[in-house]
Amino acid sequence: MSAYSALAEAGYRAYTRDKTTLFFTFAFPLLFLVVFGLIFHGQDVEESGRPYIAYIAPGVLSWGVGNAAVFGVGFVLMQWRRDDILRVIRMTPTPLASVLGSRYVLAVGIGLVQAVLFVAVALLPVMGLELAAGWPLAIPVLVLGITAFLALGAIVGSYARTPEAVAAVANFLMVPMAFLSGSFYPLDAMPSWMQAMSWVLPLRHLNDGVSAALTDAGGGADIAVACGGLVAFAVVFGAVAFRVFRWSDRT
Amino acid sequence: MTPEPRAEPSKENAVTTDTDDPAGPPPAVRLAAVRKSYGDVRAVDEVSFTVRRGEFFGLLGPNGAGKTTLIEIMEGLREADSGTVEVLGRAPWPRDTSLLPKLGVQTQSSAFFVRLTAYEHLKTMAALYGTERAAADRTLALVGLGEQADVRVENLSGGQRQRLAIASALVHAPELIFLDEPTAALDPQARRALWELLRDLKRAGRTIVYTTHHLDEAEALCDRVAIVNRGRITALDTPGKLVARGGTSVWLLVPAERLSEADARALPGVTEVTRESDAVVLRTEDAGPVLAALEKAAGLQGVRTRTASLEDVYLQLTGQD
Repeated sequence: MSAYSALAEAGYRAYTRDKTTLFFTFAFPLLFLVVFGLIFHGQDVEESGRPYIAYIAPGVLSWGVGNAAVFGVGFVLMQWRRDDILRVIRMTPTPLASVLGSRYVLAVGIGLVQAVLFVAVALLPVMGLELAAGWPLAIPVLVLGITAFLALGAIVGSYARTPEAVAAVANFLMVPMAFLSGSFYPLDAMPSWMQAMSWVLPLRHLNDGVSAALTDAGGGADIAVACGGLVAFAVVFGAVAFRVFRWSDRT
Repeated sequence: MTPEPRAEPSKENAVTTDTDDPAGPPPAVRLAAVRKSYGDVRAVDEVSFTVRRGEFFGLLGPNGAGKTTLIEIMEGLREADSGTVEVLGRAPWPRDTSLLPKLGVQTQSSAFFVRLTAYEHLKTMAALYGTERAAADRTLALVGLGEQADVRVENLSGGQRQRLAIASALVHAPELIFLDEPTAALDPQARRALWELLRDLKRAGRTIVYTTHHLDEAEALCDRVAIVNRGRITALDTPGKLVARGGTSVWLLVPAERLSEADARALPGVTEVTRESDAVVLRTEDAGPVLAALEKAAGLQGVRTRTASLEDVYLQLTGQD
């Protein structure tokens, strides 16, 4: 067995054996989707004339995927450093690329499972989402989004030394971002200055791209812009993550 | 003390040899004038020594003496500020992935992959070293954790965690093994079992560098012992020669009911008499005549002798008396 697949397997087992993380990854965002979906059932957004679910489903999906990526890697990195697992790995001949690759594949896998689950629930008649023909384009958007948020989570995990710090910092970033990027509330219904400001948030781009792919809210151009934005965020966050990375908490 | 001859100099070593002995493989570890400071604190100060292949080498010293920093420099986890560090003929810093499979490192007993069983953790470690999966079963049995194979790492006891950490250092059959206080959390049985394991590894030609606080253990296991204090090596020799430095005094413990302290003082050659629970303790520089006199005065039944131990020398050298 290769180091890469062994690490992926170890990560997968650790993940599926942790009921709290499973709940917050899958059930918690789904709860948001169901609550918002039922509250606004059958209603349209005045400003655009499109149904609420067409905003909320891609929005909650994007937030759920981004959140899981940030928390997942943030916790693991903090814990691996605190428990000295990073030093253990460093003392083996395993290349860093295998370590990163295994975590990346795991995060992308979790994100795609989340996406399938959320979309399936949103398609239920009580939710009333209608899928656009271009939905497969959501996959590359999600993968890029996961990449960007994974890098953000790596920064959080490098700074934070305790689980409490990871949770606090990640929530501080992700909760306001969810509201300001239109994940829980349609951006079209927000003041124009807020809409303009939201461009500096990676979640806005993920929302836009997923929304355009799943609901015909825009064309291929919107998806391309979203992908471009996410690549830029991934590069910037990735560069910062490499700079702040530490093998050990001890000096 | 002569190093055990090594049977299998590997091919790479034969090629990269550039040491004093052109015929044999380079030594396991060679340190020359190694220094490492943290701010103003000199953690390692001009340390030089060589560990031969197949040697069992002990590092003793009080907490904060620089043992761990020294081991981490040898492992390649830290870069020395100055001096030469060679491990199996190579520089351990920066990270050298062709050297790492030959090194076994025991890190802290918390360094396990979370929510895995002991077996799964070790299997992952084997894969990280590119070793076959069967090695995990074998090594688990070797450290006596065969029955705990399916126990989650979080649920292992302190001693079991320690043995799993040691297993993580051995799973890939390394040539050179670094152990940091491997017997610290073990009960007496597990400690003796580990001694046997370490002796077996030595018999198999492995080199072991380890730190310990148990001086009896160092005396029983090590070929040579280095005593570290304030970042310096204050003594380096075989346990026997180190103990000899502690002086030639012998203590005779005589059951108190058979000899009064006054009578003891009257014996020729006795330099000091003290009382220790149920025994009168006679100190002498020449035990033979004293024993002969004692036999006439009180008989030798129940008399015990005691000589200076590594502990005495250690306390003397580290100024912790």
